[in-house]
Amino acid sequence: MTALLETRGVWQRFGGLVANSDVSISVGRGEIVGLIGPNGAGKSTLFNLIAGVLPPTQGSIWFDGEDVTNLPAAVRCQRGVGRTFQVVKSFETMTVIDNVIVGALVRNTVMREARRKAHEVLEFTGLAPRANVLASDLVPAEKRRLEVARALATEPKLLLLDEVLTGLTPTEAQTGVALVRKVRDTGVTVLMVEHVMEIVMPLVDRAIVLDLGKVLVEGKPSDVVRDPKVIKAYLGDRHAVGA
Amino acid sequence: MMDKDFAARRRRDLIIAAVLAMIAALTPLFVKDVVVQNILILTLMYAGLSQSWNILSGYCGQISLGHALYFGLGAYTTELLFTKFGVLPWFGMLAGGVVSALIAMGLGYPFFRLRGHYFVIATIVIAEIGLLLFHNWEWAGAAMGITIPIRGDSWLKFQFMRTKLPYFYFALVLCCLAWFVTWWLEDSKWGFWWRAVKDNPEAAESLGVVVFNSKMGAAAVSAFLVAVGGSFYAQFVSYIDPESVMGFQFSLLMALPAVLGGIGTLWGPVLGAAILIPLTELTRFKFGGSGRGVDLIVYGTLIVLISLALPRGLLSLFSRSKKTGATR
Amino acid sequence: MGLLYGLIAVGLALIFGLMDVTNFAHGEFLMIAMYLSFFLFAFFAIDPLLSAPLVAAALFIFGAVVYLLLVRFAMRAKANAGMVQIFTTFGLAIVMRGLAQFFFTPDYRSIPQSWLGGKTISIAGIFLPEPQLVGALVSILAFAGLYLFIHRTDFGRALEATREDPGAVALVGIDKNRVFAAGWGLGAALVGLAGAIMASFFYIYPDVGASFALIAYVTVALGGFGSVFGAFAGGIVVGLVEATTALVLPPSLKSVGIYAVYLLVVFIRPRGLFGSI
Repeated sequence: MTALLETRGVWQRFGGLVANSDVSISVGRGEIVGLIGPNGAGKSTLFNLIAGVLPPTQGSIWFDGEDVTNLPAAVRCQRGVGRTFQVVKSFETMTVIDNVIVGALVRNTVMREARRKAHEVLEFTGLAPRANVLASDLVPAEKRRLEVARALATEPKLLLLDEVLTGLTPTEAQTGVALVRKVRDTGVTVLMVEHVMEIVMPLVDRAIVLDLGKVLVEGKPSDVVRDPKVIKAYLGDRHAVGA
Repeated sequence: MMDKDFAARRRRDLIIAAVLAMIAALTPLFVKDVVVQNILILTLMYAGLSQSWNILSGYCGQISLGHALYFGLGAYTTELLFTKFGVLPWFGMLAGGVVSALIAMGLGYPFFRLRGHYFVIATIVIAEIGLLLFHNWEWAGAAMGITIPIRGDSWLKFQFMRTKLPYFYFALVLCCLAWFVTWWLEDSKWGFWWRAVKDNPEAAESLGVVVFNSKMGAAAVSAFLVAVGGSFYAQFVSYIDPESVMGFQFSLLMALPAVLGGIGTLWGPVLGAAILIPLTELTRFKFGGSGRGVDLIVYGTLIVLISLALPRGLLSLFSRSKKTGATR
Repeated sequence: MGLLYGLIAVGLALIFGLMDVTNFAHGEFLMIAMYLSFFLFAFFAIDPLLSAPLVAAALFIFGAVVYLLLVRFAMRAKANAGMVQIFTTFGLAIVMRGLAQFFFTPDYRSIPQSWLGGKTISIAGIFLPEPQLVGALVSILAFAGLYLFIHRTDFGRALEATREDPGAVALVGIDKNRVFAAGWGLGAALVGLAGAIMASFFYIYPDVGASFALIAYVTVALGGFGSVFGAFAGGIVVGLVEATTALVLPPSLKSVGIYAVYLLVVFIRPRGLFGSI
């Protein structure tokens, strides 16, 4: 069975800066894949490329068997790519439910259906009690959940989570992890960028490590974490054992 | 549960509108003074115009200070068709609306990629160009404009000499139409998309909203309605020339009521027009006859005060107490 | 003439570049400057050229005051921020025009005998109108002065710093409000200079600001918001375009050329020629 998402030889250059270099990864249906790497590794850029915010300088991106390289973000969403933003971009002037309705409208063009779907998603993500609150009045953890809820309302096949668990308290993080698992259980594939190793590693099926724009290593979390190349990338030479 | 509240609020808006419309419809019975009738007609017209402007600039967030272009296009299309080809104004109005909508979309192509101030200035500029072009267009009367021949009252030709009542009712219908369109679109796919685009276009894109298309839609609807208003105005005053229908003052007068009452809200423009237009007309009547500018001072100050104190318009005074959020 | 446009525009560009606010009352600042020149001439018989520095200084104060009393609050708006700025300054413009109409009447005024008015110089056989020439010279000087000021003096650097990060400058002891007020003052002074010069050869009336204002906005947008040099370049372009259009099209259409060029440029480069926004 073909992978849900494939990037083939993707390069991204900004003027003289190479943000991604020859990145070829694939994400299979129903997986939870973690995209990790030190700061500046090119994770966010890759995310933006997959989401369609900008086209790659070189290479192609395939989604669900289709070449989506030249499709803009809105169309990719219609194809089934949902995403959250690292710096939360809620619709501050709209209520929680209205925020989610915007997402639901992609697949449910009749207002009543969109509303119903939005309610469902709010229940699913635990935001139902806050439905009529203005997005600007939410606490940060809730805003994160709203980001996820909104993206879920678009009924994605692949959900791109950009550091949704970063900076949360341990309790909040546990709730977040449970949510991600719940999402996968509904059949949505998840690709998540994360920093906090202890939380991410138990969660993901597979981990891809990016460093300086290139794919360094990929495999099972337990293997990746012990890989000397990875340790060196994160902590520097002195900590690597048996480099 | 919650949906019931929301549906109830929507129904309530509709009922209030119906009641207000009925009250308005009855006023001519009590008001016989021509001057007052005039003010009422203008108020209704500007309310409708501002409501239409609000669709693009309030809900969708693309502030246009060049809507006079569509107003003038509506007026000119209708009158040119009437005086040169004998087409009845009713059809002329539709034609004017369609022409304006098409032009609005055509302009959208280059304009919608502009951000913020660049966009506003572009709208002002294109309206000025329109004005200058019509000023020099011989066939359309150039600077002399077009005088509409009035030979007695006629519903067919939509012209009335002896009474202003039909104009009043038409303006009322126009205003109600603009309000209704806004009400309907507010809780629709388009309404939500517009608000999303206004709030955070990048996020909207990530949720499948094709930002460009939604802006085009808003522009087209807005332009159409404004053009119909322009056609009405032409028939009302029976004489048009470039300055009197495409002048910048119209662009302003379409925007100000919405800003005053509450930009991006359902009732804002109507409230704003109800306050601003009578105020403007009265001060102009009392003081401005010699062009002494008191009317300008008054409404300029009003604008400044409202912008500073109540950026969301007068309406925000009322909704601050309610905490229920949806669609406001 | 283009250089004068540039001068008017640079004040606008400065204010915008500084704090992201477009002053829609800029045209009215010009109008006041012109009236001031007029009255100085009418009551004290001071030639506009001489009174120019005075007018500029007066406008400086005026600009700073406008900031302190009005704009400062407009910038605090959290909801609809852009719109608040637009309409606040717009409202101000309307009020100013109304006041002018009220106090000065809508009559056209002009300064009949000034050092510059109505005279021409012949340079290499071409007759050039003196006022415009002097205006152009003053413009160039002003730009040069402004450029030096911004890049060489402490204050100029403070201006730049505040523009980059208004929050952070407080940490280095720069009072954001004072810098902004001065910025507004400077912008106003520049347009005041232009006004004083133009008073010698233009009619003065309450709405005079409006036509020049639009040209100023187009000039700034053409050169790119936020770029002082852009305003300068923009001014030259605008002046040239206007002159060429006047040759080709009937006089009432002369502005069309400018507008068309604006639209063209902004279509190709949405940030204007040198814009940083």
